[in-house]
Amino acid sequence: MPIIFICSVPFSGGERVAKSLAQKLGYGYMSREDVVARANEAGIPVGKLEVAMVKRPSVQERMARLKDRYLAVATATICEKAQDGNLVYYGRAGHRLLPGVSHVLRLHVLPEHGQRVETVMTRLKLSREKAEKFLRDIDGDILAWVRFVHGIDMDDSRMYDFVANLENLNLENAATALCGVAELPDFRPTPASQRAMQDRYLQAQARIKLSLDDRTADVDLTVRANDGVLTITYVPLQARAASLISDAVGDLPGCREIRCTMASTNVLWIQEAFKPGSETFREVNELARRWGAAVELLQYKPGDAPSDAVAVAVGRSAAIEARTGGVEDDVPDAQPSSEERSFQETLEALVHEGRSGGGQRVSGSRDRLSAVISPSIPYSLVVLGDLFLDKPAATRTRLVRELSMFLGDRVKAPVLSTTDLAAKLHLGGREVARGAVAGVLVVLIYCGVFLWQDRLIDLLGGPAHKAAPWFAAVLVALMAPVIAFLYGSVLASMMKWLKMD
Amino acid sequence: MSHLIGDIFIQLTWGNALALVLLGLVGGILSGFTGSGAAFIMTPGMMNLRVPGVVAVGSNMAHRFGNNMMGAKRHAGLGNVDKKLSIFLLVTALAGVQLAVWINSKLFNLGGGGEGHGEGAGSGAVSNLYISVVFISVLTLVGAFMLRDAFRSPDAKEGAGPSMKLANFFSKLPLPPYVHFPVADVRVSLWLVLGLGLLVGYLDGTVAIGGFVGVPAMIYLFGVPTTVATGSELFMAMFGGAWGAISYAFQGFVDLRLSCLLLIGSLLGVYIGAYGTKVVKEVLVRMVSSSIILLAVLSRVVAVPVYLREMGKMNFSEAWVPWLKGGSTAILFAAGIGGAVLVLYHVVKATLERRRVHATLLVRTPAGEP
Repeated sequence: MPIIFICSVPFSGGERVAKSLAQKLGYGYMSREDVVARANEAGIPVGKLEVAMVKRPSVQERMARLKDRYLAVATATICEKAQDGNLVYYGRAGHRLLPGVSHVLRLHVLPEHGQRVETVMTRLKLSREKAEKFLRDIDGDILAWVRFVHGIDMDDSRMYDFVANLENLNLENAATALCGVAELPDFRPTPASQRAMQDRYLQAQARIKLSLDDRTADVDLTVRANDGVLTITYVPLQARAASLISDAVGDLPGCREIRCTMASTNVLWIQEAFKPGSETFREVNELARRWGAAVELLQYKPGDAPSDAVAVAVGRSAAIEARTGGVEDDVPDAQPSSEERSFQETLEALVHEGRSGGGQRVSGSRDRLSAVISPSIPYSLVVLGDLFLDKPAATRTRLVRELSMFLGDRVKAPVLSTTDLAAKLHLGGREVARGAVAGVLVVLIYCGVFLWQDRLIDLLGGPAHKAAPWFAAVLVALMAPVIAFLYGSVLASMMKWLKMD
Repeated sequence: MSHLIGDIFIQLTWGNALALVLLGLVGGILSGFTGSGAAFIMTPGMMNLRVPGVVAVGSNMAHRFGNNMMGAKRHAGLGNVDKKLSIFLLVTALAGVQLAVWINSKLFNLGGGGEGHGEGAGSGAVSNLYISVVFISVLTLVGAFMLRDAFRSPDAKEGAGPSMKLANFFSKLPLPPYVHFPVADVRVSLWLVLGLGLLVGYLDGTVAIGGFVGVPAMIYLFGVPTTVATGSELFMAMFGGAWGAISYAFQGFVDLRLSCLLLIGSLLGVYIGAYGTKVVKEVLVRMVSSSIILLAVLSRVVAVPVYLREMGKMNFSEAWVPWLKGGSTAILFAAGIGGAVLVLYHVVKATLERRRVHATLLVRTPAGEP
């Protein structure tokens, strides 16, 4: 049965809905307070972190490490509680902690404003005006916190499977209605989603262990878990940390292997099906080698659900498509599919090249894809490989372009298709010709400048300049960028040829 | 025979042309490596080659205009440019540049010696002194702060980022309205942004060192990530540089020949320096940058008595003049060339070292597991 995440603001009645739902379903109950208590026990000052993030956003970069630790503790706490059975969690966008896990039901409870104000007035003994101001402030702070921690807008209904609006719905009736939703086969665990959850748990545990060890606590590491394999990347400046990572992580249940990769930066490669010997693999690998980057694989199966579907079943279509009422879900997949094998082979090939940044798989809408891209990993590039394979070529090009624009708005890194990537990487005949023409023009301009320097000086500061000073301004405005552009083009071609770009 | 053509442009020889190309290369390497403009070495470097200060600034701005355009294009491709931040800074930066051009032109026309024994144009002693004083004042502060930050704690961990103390302090100041900059992901008081823009523009227009103040200020005062600060500053400097170059050209203070020669070395140097940042420790980047800045300041300090003598404000034997000029030139070039060689050494060393490292290590496979 699913893990139910109920998201709402304080004094909204959301907590009562969550408790009532847990009671009716016989599920365990957990709230954000439990996670915060656990984080405080682990030495993370959540209160201070919240104040720092909400009141002083410019210190965010400084706090990023603490935020990662907090997210790891939160993930581990929820996974531990949810491992034994069913769970209702009440908090703020907690579902974002388990990307790729499909047996998660995401609910948003919208409060009845008048009732909420009354509650605050009664409980905190405030006037109506002060109560309304209090709620405005607290809502703003929570929105800022969720934006900082999860990189999303908490009020965006596309983030949820269902929205319960308490303006027109009684608390108890809302809980009763949601009981039915929780029973739907769409939210039942599958072997794949359980494996994804184990990976999220393993990843969180590794992150916690690394942050608790003095030797690795201040090292900037990227931790990824895939099918029991932990991939931890570190930057070249902290190369000494490599030998300590294994000791710091120690023995973790479910961990088959630890791979440490040195990388200056990360490249995210999104594709529908991976092949280690493919042309795209060669190009991405070549780019990673030049940049000293780790390559993270993200296998994405685009779904049919439109990304702008409101509130209901967003991002579920592909995950649902694979199941028929949960019957076959009970039969474990003994043999991996050919796609899974190719995915693993590509990962292995990257490991051998020293470029592996781990991998993960996701299916569904664009929102679901965007949700699994961690905002805390500083990607330098996102490469969109072969996607929408069941579509005709022209449609595929358009869809890739649209996806590129969609991700470009959400990810702080350039998003390139493989065609663009190839153009950037290869010094083709056209580019050589362009570089040669630019080189000839540069030589001609320089010859002109130095062969007729007396005339030029006259224009720039002599009698001719006194007569028409604007001509010098125009000359400089035109020549400076033109020369830089032409000469820059020549150098760029040369650097690309020398593989130093 | 005078070394000048007309009143202000120098005679080009193979020797000083080669020196300008090398100066561009050294400046380019340092610029690409430190992420800031290398006018701190280019401007005084040209002045040491007997280019009048105001022409050195104007020609350097023209050269940087094109250079910044290429740099900004490159950074924009990597997603390092916060255009909103750049545009906000640019608003007052253009006014700052215009103010600086106006002051420089007025001071140049004031003269200040006219004996013809000065560095560059004898008649530009006041302007030269003014540029040197601004240079010394600002870069002493910047260099000392960066050096202190590089050594700020004996137990500083490898890869530690820049200090955020000032950013924290300024973020606490109640100076509404605040503006959110999405790419840098920071929220900063509008007044601080406009103030910084004015300062950057003024310094850019005066000594072409706006970037060396703008980038650290964005990092240390606003908390902007280093790469975004560099990219955004370059984007802004592209427009600011264009405006400054055009203004100086209108006043007749741009020597395009010098700009062309500088460009040959500097664009190449930028590529090498930028490659260096990928393989050299950040703390070393800061130490090298600050040491070079402070040596460049020392070079200017040594040259100041010469300008004061030209203006009649200081009296000492003429025999000292070549020693002071030579000393100033030697310090500057030793600093610049030393820094560039150090960068190149580390680039080569780190590249060779990286090749030796097998990047992915299979460090543990639990017994019994596949």
